[in-house]
Amino acid sequence: MSHRFATVWRKEVFLAYALLLPSLIFLAAFTYWPILRSFWFSLHDVALGDPRIFWLGAENYLRLLDDGLFWKVLGNTAFYTLTTIPLSIIVALLLAVAMDSKLRGMAIYRSAFFYPVMIPSVAAGMVWVFLYAPGYGPINEALNFLGLPRLDWLYDSKWALPAIILMSIWKYSGYFMLILLAALKLVPSDLYEAARLDGVGPVSRLLHITVPLISPTLYFVIVIGLLHSYQIFDYVYVMTQGGPADSTNVLTFYIYQNGFQYQDIGYASTIANTLLIFVLGLIGLVALTLGRRVHYMGER
Amino acid sequence: MTDIVRNTQAASTATTASTATTAANTVAAIVPSPFSVVLRWMSRRWQHFILAPLVLLWLSPMIWIVLTSLKTKVEVFDPDAGILPAVLNFANYPATLAVAPFGMYLVNSILVTGSILIAQLVTITLAAYAFARLEFPLKRFLFTLFLLQVMFPIYAIFLTNFVTLRELGLINTLPAMIVPFVASGYGTFMLRQAFRQVPSELSDAARLDGCGHLAILWHVYLPLVQPTLVAFGIISVVTHWNDYMWPLLVTNSDSVRTLPIGLGLLAKSDSGADWTRLMAGTTLVVSPLLLVFVIFQRRFIDSFMHTGVK
Repeated sequence: MSHRFATVWRKEVFLAYALLLPSLIFLAAFTYWPILRSFWFSLHDVALGDPRIFWLGAENYLRLLDDGLFWKVLGNTAFYTLTTIPLSIIVALLLAVAMDSKLRGMAIYRSAFFYPVMIPSVAAGMVWVFLYAPGYGPINEALNFLGLPRLDWLYDSKWALPAIILMSIWKYSGYFMLILLAALKLVPSDLYEAARLDGVGPVSRLLHITVPLISPTLYFVIVIGLLHSYQIFDYVYVMTQGGPADSTNVLTFYIYQNGFQYQDIGYASTIANTLLIFVLGLIGLVALTLGRRVHYMGER
Repeated sequence: MTDIVRNTQAASTATTASTATTAANTVAAIVPSPFSVVLRWMSRRWQHFILAPLVLLWLSPMIWIVLTSLKTKVEVFDPDAGILPAVLNFANYPATLAVAPFGMYLVNSILVTGSILIAQLVTITLAAYAFARLEFPLKRFLFTLFLLQVMFPIYAIFLTNFVTLRELGLINTLPAMIVPFVASGYGTFMLRQAFRQVPSELSDAARLDGCGHLAILWHVYLPLVQPTLVAFGIISVVTHWNDYMWPLLVTNSDSVRTLPIGLGLLAKSDSGADWTRLMAGTTLVVSPLLLVFVIFQRRFIDSFMHTGVK
């Protein structure tokens, strides 16, 4: 009997590995092998399209520490991530709260806020270049109409990154709003009713009832926000090419510049590795700080 | 106005729906001052006063794309021309189609997105079943490997992937745009969760009837997790249909380029000056997906609402 059981078990193990094999091959070839290889490259002098490879040791990393532009790029990336994510989530939360009732035209509102997610990043970037155009762009026309000064937006090193941030809020907050809306539906409405009867105002209802109760979802949205924030490469590529004066140059674009424009795979890999560490660090930080304080309602 | 009538009717049981007087009379009969009616209506529907202008703001870039695509070049740069095109000028559309092979881009986009979707559905179904229903050594470790893939951005490994594909001689081919995305940690995770919710009595019954694992997977599990498959499919298609960076890096000729790349090239060749043609191109590129979205709105919204990530 136990012999038969062992055969069945062995069969099951064999089947399991057979089922995993297709995924594992592609995971290994295009996710894990590149990570290992990227580390290997970072210790060498490698040129794009040149099979020769020269040992450098830690030299690329020392170069990184000395590279003023790298630190600027890292700062830009951090600034973009740390402003875009909170701002889009705040906008998304306010939209979701305003829509969390039986509202006529709900479907129209939802789609109108969500549709930017469906637009290819290259198309979105291009349209916003037009919208931001200093001479004839509608945003400057609107500012002018309101009696505000015109701005140079993407041509001004002070305003270029904020301009991309504004566009990102437009592009993604509708997505976050949808996810938050699903969470708001689960908050029991008698909680609001009780608070209202106790004379709790709308702002503290939001801060003390809504936010704690949907905190698992907020946490989830922050992680999604992080994953989507890499897409800034597309916007930088289409809208500014990192300029003016590298004010919109971010890690992903800097990797591209070094690897493809200067063909220095070794150094580009070194930057890519720091991006990986940056990302894993941020996710770890979010998990440690917010993940612990998250309030789980019931089982979820 | 009819809104006010309906609301006041709902609020007060005294009025019956059959009151066939004019709207103004009905309002006056219930509440003395029409002004306070408006105020009450406004306070109950305050959301509209915030949301409606915001919706307009959100839609304005899309409206701007379409309006500009119907203008003439002169109008775009003329500050006195106003927002609407003076005459609807459709000539930009044929002009755009004449400068770039958008038909070919469309075919490539469909081939790439379709192949990724089919390949992903196969790999994630098989892997998710193993993780959900089978016991084997290293299960936890392997599952972690799948989950970590979600966190590693393609933007951090595109460089080495490019080198690998070049060594394989796949640069500037359709497979180059497909192979990095065949395995999906996220899809595997989503589907594993769905499989685990299928009651084990069902598969036990099938096994007693003599079904093997694969038959159970095909006849019992897959039909039951269809909503998850659709949700994952929608997210996958939207992501890869719109993808820009990776196809940009691995293609260098029209025969393999996808729609977003074609649009980017159009922008480059026009050097930003010919906005009317560019916006016509944008409308063409954006509309297939937006159209599908408008038709299957609920499906799309549900997919993104309850799942997330790429």
